[in-house]
Amino acid sequence: MLHGETLLALADAMVGDDADALARVRDGASPKLGPVAFVDAVAVVSNFERMVRIADATGIPLDGRLELMTQDLRQELGLERFGAAANTPQPGLGRRAAGRVLRPLARGALRVVGRVSRR
Amino acid sequence: MTPLSYAAAALPVRPDLPAAHERAWTRLAAPGAWWTGAERVSIAAECRNAWRCAVCRERKASLSPYAVSGVHADLGALPEPAVDAIHRITTDPGRVSRAWFERTLQAGLDEGAYVELVGVVVTVVSVDSFCRGLGVPPHPLPEPLAGPPSRYRPAAARPGEAWVAMLPAGRPPGAEADLWGPGIPNVARALSLVPDEVRTLKDLTRAHYLEPEQVVDPRNRRGALDRMQMELLAGRVSALRECFY
Repeated sequence: MLHGETLLALADAMVGDDADALARVRDGASPKLGPVAFVDAVAVVSNFERMVRIADATGIPLDGRLELMTQDLRQELGLERFGAAANTPQPGLGRRAAGRVLRPLARGALRVVGRVSRR
Repeated sequence: MTPLSYAAAALPVRPDLPAAHERAWTRLAAPGAWWTGAERVSIAAECRNAWRCAVCRERKASLSPYAVSGVHADLGALPEPAVDAIHRITTDPGRVSRAWFERTLQAGLDEGAYVELVGVVVTVVSVDSFCRGLGVPPHPLPEPLAGPPSRYRPAAARPGEAWVAMLPAGRPPGAEADLWGPGIPNVARALSLVPDEVRTLKDLTRAHYLEPEQVVDPRNRRGALDRMQMELLAGRVSALRECFY
């Protein structure tokens, strides 16, 4: 992904609490990304500092279709270790079976999503 | 209120961002559904203060945040359950639990007041994070406006889906019809017990990221980043904050 490492470093520094480290990342990232994309990236990171807190503080479950399509992926990424995983009920037999049927489709769909989400 | 500005930033900031932040600050100062304007500004001030709280730092570093007892270093303007909620949601949001939430309500915080408090905290955290990312000082908090809270609770809100009651998915009825259309994710419904907090959320999200209803379509993007770059940032923040959603 174009500028992937730079974007990750910016997110890490903004979520972290080291002001000097953030200043260094800012100085490096801004020329690489360009001024418009840098501000957009800062806007997205700060947006998700809001969204994660809403999700965690209100105990919402995953949206139904997403829950169904990502059962495997969540296990693979180890997301079930996060405390808020308890807010999404464990799927019953029917949903687990549906998840297994949809697994190949979900992988394919993710590849398509990956392609169309690039410019 | 003095207009919010990013003139001090080293880089040009597109005008919809300060405009959205200024509207958020205006709403922050006004009486809400469950808190007065002065209380809402106090919540905002306490949110900023939480980053300096020694108890929060100790909890953040511990294996379980509930294993560390102690009193928050607070500003003294809000009841203790509200202070605790503000500090935990600000500094360690990934580890708040349903049991803690239920204790918070039992300690005297109304469910609607809790939802509005969350709305104020996330607004301040987000706008402050944007300032920090750009390397400019946080904006001064607004002067509160006088007036009582409305005590408005939407009649269609229902408990059961999340810790807090929410409006059901689907187009909301009556006075809440403007809140969302089809395809709304749960996170955009989460604050709907206090509809004005959803309006603030949507206004900010529109400027920072996308319209909530646009999120499900991966072709949608805004600004100079492609959607994959936007989602890389979103996913990284979520992982760092240990957010399952």
